[in-house]
Amino acid sequence: MRSLRDKAIARIRLWYARRHGVDDLPVKIERRRIYIVPSRFGLMLTALLIAMLIAGLNYSSNLGLAFAFFMTSTVLVAMHHCHRNLLGLTVDVKLEVDALAGTDAIFFFMLRNESAVDRCDVEVRLGSASDSPRSLVEATHSVAIGCYEEVMLAVPVIDRGVRRFSQFELRTTYPFGWFRAWTYVQAPLTAFVAPSPGGNRPLPAVTAATGESARSESRGEEDFAGLRSYTPGIPLKHMAWKTLARGGEASVRVYSDLGARPEWLEWSSLDGLDTEARLSQLSRWILECETGHQRPYGLRIPGVDIPPGRGPAHRWRCLRALACHGMPPA
Amino acid sequence: MKLAAPTAGRVTYEQLRWMSVCLVLALAVHTASLPLWLLATIAAAIAIRLALSARGYAVPSRAIRSGVAVISIAILFLTLHTFNGVAAGSSLLSLVAGLKLFETQTRRDLYVVALIVYFLSLAALLTSESFWLLAYLLVVSWLTTATLLRLTRSSQSSGWRRSARYAGRISAQALPLALVLWLFFPRFDAPLWRVPSDSRSAETGLSDSMSPGDITDLALSDEVAFRVHFEGATPPAAELYWRGPVLHDFDGRTWRRSVAFRGAAPDFAAVGPAYRYVVSLEPNQHNWIFALDWPDQWNLSDAYLTSDDMLVRPALLSHPIDVSISSHTRVQSTQPLGEFVRRRDTRLPVQRNPRTQQLALELRRTHPDDLGYVNAVLDLFRRQPFFYTLEPPPLGLDSIDEFLFDTRRGFCGHYASAFAALVRAAGIPARVVTGYHGGTYNRFADYWIVSQSDAHAWDEVWIEGQGWMRFDPTSAIAPGRVEPNVDRSLAGSARLSGAWRQPLSWLSDARLQFDALRQLWRERILGFDQRTQEQLLSRLGIPDPDGEKIAMVMGAALALVFIWLTWQIRREQRPDPKDPVLRAYGKLCRKLAAVGLPRRPSEGAESFAARVALERPDLGPRVGALLRRYSRLRYGASRRSRTERWFIARVRSFKPRGILPAAKGSRWE
Repeated sequence: MRSLRDKAIARIRLWYARRHGVDDLPVKIERRRIYIVPSRFGLMLTALLIAMLIAGLNYSSNLGLAFAFFMTSTVLVAMHHCHRNLLGLTVDVKLEVDALAGTDAIFFFMLRNESAVDRCDVEVRLGSASDSPRSLVEATHSVAIGCYEEVMLAVPVIDRGVRRFSQFELRTTYPFGWFRAWTYVQAPLTAFVAPSPGGNRPLPAVTAATGESARSESRGEEDFAGLRSYTPGIPLKHMAWKTLARGGEASVRVYSDLGARPEWLEWSSLDGLDTEARLSQLSRWILECETGHQRPYGLRIPGVDIPPGRGPAHRWRCLRALACHGMPPA
Repeated sequence: MKLAAPTAGRVTYEQLRWMSVCLVLALAVHTASLPLWLLATIAAAIAIRLALSARGYAVPSRAIRSGVAVISIAILFLTLHTFNGVAAGSSLLSLVAGLKLFETQTRRDLYVVALIVYFLSLAALLTSESFWLLAYLLVVSWLTTATLLRLTRSSQSSGWRRSARYAGRISAQALPLALVLWLFFPRFDAPLWRVPSDSRSAETGLSDSMSPGDITDLALSDEVAFRVHFEGATPPAAELYWRGPVLHDFDGRTWRRSVAFRGAAPDFAAVGPAYRYVVSLEPNQHNWIFALDWPDQWNLSDAYLTSDDMLVRPALLSHPIDVSISSHTRVQSTQPLGEFVRRRDTRLPVQRNPRTQQLALELRRTHPDDLGYVNAVLDLFRRQPFFYTLEPPPLGLDSIDEFLFDTRRGFCGHYASAFAALVRAAGIPARVVTGYHGGTYNRFADYWIVSQSDAHAWDEVWIEGQGWMRFDPTSAIAPGRVEPNVDRSLAGSARLSGAWRQPLSWLSDARLQFDALRQLWRERILGFDQRTQEQLLSRLGIPDPDGEKIAMVMGAALALVFIWLTWQIRREQRPDPKDPVLRAYGKLCRKLAAVGLPRRPSEGAESFAARVALERPDLGPRVGALLRRYSRLRYGASRRSRTERWFIARVRSFKPRGILPAAKGSRWE
């Protein structure tokens, strides 16, 4: 019974995906893409309303009928309000996110309310068309008049690889829980799941590197090779303070050895391990390089060659390469 | 920025308290029909659950809960013997609501309680006709709906007033739709199936017997018995005798109805004019329809005349009904009196009231003519010192003797009784009729109010050649002999009776006006049926209305209401057009559209800025700055008037140039 329902829902979502195609983000939720059905509570209420109507007719009580019709009308008006709660909401999402396996991939959604009424309890739900609806993740938020709200949706990721979602859902049962209105947004959301760090092999050049870096500090400005514009993540001691004081842009001094002797993290150096173990080891090395050393590092795996660099952007570029390894392209 | 909280769905104390308030308010209208122990049980269940919740304890264990439920439902069934009918059904529902609240843990449990509250409200209205009850229960349902709103996550951070306001707005928007449904939804004359009608207790009104002292209680009751609207001529107020039960059997003290047969065709011929009127009867615990004297036509198919010319219907009058009747105040019998009836209506208990029988014999000797004798008896009441009082001395077994010769104080019951006894003692058939006399004319809405204080008793005497003739011995008492505590003139003129006759005329006017409103409510709202629907349609200009046309009108009206509703909701949603920032933004978009850069409807300010930068690099930075400022003004946390003014001024001075043909463009650059 359960699985049958799940299958039906999956089929509807696929049909919807074919009907609407991919949306241009940000999306403003229009009338024709909002669907609405009574919730379980709403169905119970409907049965009650029918009973009320029959009782009113049977006792030919005009006051009873008046009350029954008042309740019916309240329900119908509430349906409009439930529908309205999504209507005209603008939604945007960051399409690509990175994560490590075993943690959460966090998608950022932006709900913007340009209208003059609050949007309460809007649920953002994520799951791919082929996914079982049970594996959905959701987050509920309210967006006040003329405000935007950032919603973070944490999708637990276990396996390394590329996790794709073809759509997400906005849903609401506000105000009374009698109806459920929802809309699907077709957006290719991708979570690049890097392998979780593992393995116990040391960094390939770890001994040489410590020796050299100790020396480089004592050497002072001898190997000064020029200025480079500052990017976050570079230690402040390399900052070109004088240039900054003269009114120039924030720069860092570049020493010849920092650029000259990068760490190369290589697939080929990990003989004797299977693919996933190698990727895990590389992942760990990348994180170690980023936290432990001030040296740039490059990554060489089959098909990918990332030149040495540093900083969060570079780190995630390397990790994403690991995530995509052996994965079919989108 | 928050991560999703786990959806527990547990109810808080505040939610529980509000739902309890709603339930108590809905139960309040049922208290009269619920057994006391049941009320106590429900109150205890609610109190215990609230106390537990306030202290943060869990609900009692499942065993306790089901034990309480099974035992209380079983006791209820044993006391009521049924769960069918409105009263029994509401008892069960009330109990289930209390038990459900007792075991409430999640939001879903409260949903069930809310549904029961709605249904209890309806059940109270099924047997009621009060405007105030309807208004009260609409308020209760509004509060319940607001409580449902309190169950949502977002309202937990906002106040109760806000929820009440939003629920109130939805309820208010529902009213037009409800009105259309109520006006045009098809009505049925007969119920879909028979339901056991609850006999009502403690109704005041006439009963089917009369002992001395009975009608005094009624004389002090202000309760309305029925209202009458005359179509056309109104009889003189003194002739307004509304006939009720006709009493035949006398045991010396009490008059009783004998078995009433369904009469054949009316056995009288009209002498006077016919009066047409509509009687709006309040429910009573009998099946009597109070008609003016001698009814010969009525529009109630199941009503009939008994052999003693009383209008009745087979079922009890448990609901207010309107009957349109045509009556005569003067008739002539067309058939001779049957032997059985003659014997029944001349019978007196042999051993009782010897002095009365003696008096009758003496009078009969001087008045051998029937009519002469009856007038002599009336004369007796007129000339001898009889007094009218609502506090007569108590009478023994020979009540007529004591009244006629000793106490000589009484009211209509005493006089009607003594008169009938005297007439019967002379061998003339006589019967006592109880009913109402007169009424209060409501000049504000042209109808008569007949209240219980108008209850009256008089006699009918069979005069050969004439038939049954009405005699009212009470009216023979001279006005001077009415005791001062009696607030009525007995001369038979129109009276303002009981509380309707206030010393202050404006107060009396206000009461009459209020009653006129009630009558309007009754006619227009309570009495609304298919016939009224058809009248409404023909007033709307639709010829030959029938069920199909009513349905079509309902469809059209519903469509209109839904269009209104959509418009209303869209209007609420539209941002305030007077917002200066929005207006400036609109101006900016128009200026950009004029140079070939229209904003797409789905485009927000930022994405629009990005597209402008791409398509018109020359305008990009300036437009980008403006749009970013707009975005911050509109969606940012705070608004500063300086930034606002800056934005508005910059938009005003912004004059984009279109991309022009090269020849012209060169001249400009």
